[in-house]
Amino acid sequence: MAKKALSVKRDVPFPLHDVNILSASDEELKSISSEMGLSLSLDEMKVIVDYFRKEGRNPTDVELESLGQAWSEHCCYKSSKNILKKFVFSVKHPNVLSRGDAGVMVFDEDHGYALRIESHNHPSAIEPYGGAATGIGGILRDIVCMGAQPVGLGDPLCFGLIDRKGELPPGTKHPRYLLSGVVSGIRDYGNRVGVPTITGGFFFDERYTTNCLVNVGALGIVRKDELTNNFAGGPGETMILIGGRTGRDGIHGVTFASADLTSTSDEDSRGAVQLGDPITKEPIIHACLEVNRLGLITGMKDLGGGGLSCVVGEMALSAGECGADVHLEKVPLKEEGLAPWEIWVSESQERMMVTCKPENTEKILEIFELWDVLATPVAVTTDIPRTKVYWHGTKVLDMDTEFLTGGPAYDRPYVSPKVSGKEDEVFPEIPSAGEAIPALLSDLNVASREWAIRQYDFEVRGSTALGPMVGKMNAAGPGDASIIMPVPGSFRGLAATIGCNPWFTEADPYNGAMSSVEEALRGLVSVGARPDAITNCLNFGNPEKPDRLGVFREAVRGLGDICRALEIPIPSGNVSLYNEGSEGGGVLPTPMIMATGIIEDTRKAVSADFKDPGSRVYLVGSTKDEMGGSLLFRKYGGRGGAVPKADPAVFKRISEKLLSAMDRRLVRSCHDCSDGGAAVAIAEMCLSGRVGAEIDVPRDAEESIWLYSESNTRWIVEIKESSAKEFEGIMGGDARMIGRTGGDFLAIAGARIPVSGLYESWSRPLWNVMGGAA
Amino acid sequence: MKAEDVKVCVIRIEGTNCEDEMYQAFKMVGASPELVHLKQLAGKAPGHAKRHLEDYDILAFPGGFSAGDYVRAGAIFAARIKSDIGTELKRFVESEKPVLGVCNGFQTLVELGLLPAFEGVMSETPTAALSTNDSGRFECRPTYLRNDNRGKCIFTSEMKKGQIVMFPLAHAEGKLLSEDPRFVEKLEENDQVAFRYVGPGGAKAVYPWNPNGSPSDIAGICNPAGNVLGMMPHPERVLTRYTHQDWTRNGQPEEGDGMMVFRSVMKKLTK
Amino acid sequence: MAVIEIRIELKKGVADPEGSNTKKTLESLGFKGVGSVKCVKVFEVELDMGRSEAVKAGEEMCRVLLANPVIQSYSVTAR
Repeated sequence: MAKKALSVKRDVPFPLHDVNILSASDEELKSISSEMGLSLSLDEMKVIVDYFRKEGRNPTDVELESLGQAWSEHCCYKSSKNILKKFVFSVKHPNVLSRGDAGVMVFDEDHGYALRIESHNHPSAIEPYGGAATGIGGILRDIVCMGAQPVGLGDPLCFGLIDRKGELPPGTKHPRYLLSGVVSGIRDYGNRVGVPTITGGFFFDERYTTNCLVNVGALGIVRKDELTNNFAGGPGETMILIGGRTGRDGIHGVTFASADLTSTSDEDSRGAVQLGDPITKEPIIHACLEVNRLGLITGMKDLGGGGLSCVVGEMALSAGECGADVHLEKVPLKEEGLAPWEIWVSESQERMMVTCKPENTEKILEIFELWDVLATPVAVTTDIPRTKVYWHGTKVLDMDTEFLTGGPAYDRPYVSPKVSGKEDEVFPEIPSAGEAIPALLSDLNVASREWAIRQYDFEVRGSTALGPMVGKMNAAGPGDASIIMPVPGSFRGLAATIGCNPWFTEADPYNGAMSSVEEALRGLVSVGARPDAITNCLNFGNPEKPDRLGVFREAVRGLGDICRALEIPIPSGNVSLYNEGSEGGGVLPTPMIMATGIIEDTRKAVSADFKDPGSRVYLVGSTKDEMGGSLLFRKYGGRGGAVPKADPAVFKRISEKLLSAMDRRLVRSCHDCSDGGAAVAIAEMCLSGRVGAEIDVPRDAEESIWLYSESNTRWIVEIKESSAKEFEGIMGGDARMIGRTGGDFLAIAGARIPVSGLYESWSRPLWNVMGGAA
Repeated sequence: MKAEDVKVCVIRIEGTNCEDEMYQAFKMVGASPELVHLKQLAGKAPGHAKRHLEDYDILAFPGGFSAGDYVRAGAIFAARIKSDIGTELKRFVESEKPVLGVCNGFQTLVELGLLPAFEGVMSETPTAALSTNDSGRFECRPTYLRNDNRGKCIFTSEMKKGQIVMFPLAHAEGKLLSEDPRFVEKLEENDQVAFRYVGPGGAKAVYPWNPNGSPSDIAGICNPAGNVLGMMPHPERVLTRYTHQDWTRNGQPEEGDGMMVFRSVMKKLTK
Repeated sequence: MAVIEIRIELKKGVADPEGSNTKKTLESLGFKGVGSVKCVKVFEVELDMGRSEAVKAGEEMCRVLLANPVIQSYSVTAR
């Protein structure tokens, strides 16, 4: 064992080793990295050797473990940093109040809102319930440490086919089991902390089978004068560790997240999956927000990936070249006998760090005491930029803070992906509309999510104006975006929705990523909200494979281009790489977008369900021959084809008009066209309002393309006869009447489908697989 | 008493939620609500934070969860209240001051023995239980409720008998059970039934309109004196029309249905 | 030092949706011959006292907190 040979136990009454890297060969450096579970490459190990050569000594195990955490992909974005800098970080906007652990945007004169989404993919693949629950815990801490009260959760999830039959790859759990566990985890944690789950999504594809994606997003509201920093105010401050005790759970979580899953990940990695405790979390939220409101703290940060090892250095360094002296023995433990390095890198849940002027320490401790939340001063900030860690007086870590937290950045090789186009299109044989529309509604990627949605409390806090389901009571259909009214007594609304099209992104990463953003923004406009910002979680494959990195690069370029053109800032974001699965096939490239919008008067919000018989139905926007990656092609075996392109100028023009029509209360209902195209959108409006419609496919249109193309910037709207003239005046050539509402049937393209049948087709599939009934 | 002199104690422990909207509800009817941790009432807080239950005019148990509901919904909250301020609470109820429990608050009131309280104001052990929904799942959905109270309950005095309102609910344990074979009859005799689930247009409720399988479709009950109300649905979530599930379909008044519950009790105290 | 096991179960006649849903799911997964499935909650409590004293304490815990007598019965055994 290399580690045994190369590491020397220090003569102290606790576990501490000096690791002899200065004289180690390349092979030995590699085996030190792998046996200590550092996931550091040989080149990175060599940089560390150079550093310690200058220090004139070998590192301790605490120091090496610390670097393993800080330099992981998860913590320092080493493969993605340069790409993000090039394409995305240049998107600036005056309404961004902060780009901290969560982004913060202007909400109204006195308030900002916080937003962030991140991944919890690998832990959830191993232990879906705990993995998802801790994901929620982590994202809420990111919101709270901006000083914001969490007001909403969003959880887009990607799984293999839940009705999958046959053998699973070794070490893989059935998608149905994973979905059930993840939804239970989100339910039990989200509901218990009292934050409504208002948006989300399910994406099912065989290519998620061995590597599911669990992304969790959150929103918060903060008074502008209570917006806090994620770092200390300067030297001489106290660092107080808040919340749960520290244990062996979650050790090496970040290095785990930054490596491919393998068929033995299950047994190897349980230690890296943490257990959440919403009942510790909830009082932590209260108490942290209270000490912030009272102005007692200078900064606040959550302990996520890398635990103490990451948070201490980052809080000190950002305070302006500060360092910190840490007294590790003060950290409250779950069990005796943890080695200093374990305490230093543990990712035990429900912990935060606050910094304060020493004179406020007692007042802060008193408030946490009332809430029965542990709070322990563990460190002080210093005026030299070094992090020093002590264990009962023995120094176990002494490093330059910048070196420790900085981490490398790579320009790894990439190859540009081949893009699907019209020239390689194979149009499938498709059945009549009467057969195809119910079939598309029943597709797992379209069908009702009620099974999950009603297990989530989407109305807690009493501010949900539009929920994830809209329409008639207990017979509701899908909404486009949710709206909450986060400031009591004000009707100003914050809208949120998820957009992502992994199939477009696979076929054409640049246009697919743009379409994912457009879809999310389109959903906001559907309910009458003006798009304001996005946050994203970029789930891609192994960046060390040039083809995977090429896909990632193109997608990020698309993301940056559309956001720049539409002046939509991205105040926060998260990257999850190495989503390869045990077979190494890689997941679909999945740029998950959570978009937020503002509606000045929520009382003018529009929902997607048809309201009345006898209204006019319009198609807003134009339909193009863009069938690549469409639901129709996936369902009926089409191949190739052009993926929908997004035209920011067109989006800007049409969405402004539509929002202005909504502001004048001319629009009775509105639904965006996405999966399944106009046909599915119209059918969904019928089934959620229990109102039929007669639709005429325009004579100049190719029928199957008009029905099923998923071209961007399109909505179906319902306009009362009496408002039609004014509406047409606003929209000009951008809206075209296509029919009328009424009756109990959807009549379209020669088909006559009963609305009750549409509802059956759409509402049943998930219940049928997951069990139970509405 | 003037409205602003009505002091409302919105009680909480760790893991309590829905307290902000309960606070907001009392604020909107002009009262002076305060969020109070049980430890503040139990003398386990620093001097400036200490509070006394008797100083309040209304006690409200917010819904959601408490202490994770790990043993059983409301059980931990109830056990701690009993041991910390049991005597003060009993006195509070005996003096006919209003007590409201919503969702987890209802579960807590039942666990405390304050409901149904056929004998005495507070039974030694629970005499009813809120059991797991028949669906076996957490259910978050809107419900129609009919006010079936004949006048005893002080939280429904502003509603007409038979009036139907829409309150949403969100719980996993809401099926009201008792071992007493005459349970429902007794509730009726004492005018203790406050709300029943109904279907559209007031029809008999079947699932999902009765979302938990509660016998006789009971959604909320009061004590025999009428000053303690427990209910599973959340009136504090519908203070304006714009949080009603179907508000985009119907042009109705701005005020949400839930306000009636809070107006009723305030009317009683301020008259 | 005694370790007691407290078993909380639903009384006869009280619906057990968790149990019956689990049964349904097990059957749908292809498990044959599944009879009834009951959901039972077990607490293991360490007590610094003798066995019989510990059992008594456990019963008191059930009365005060762990069981609702309307729907649940309990049994306490020392190990």
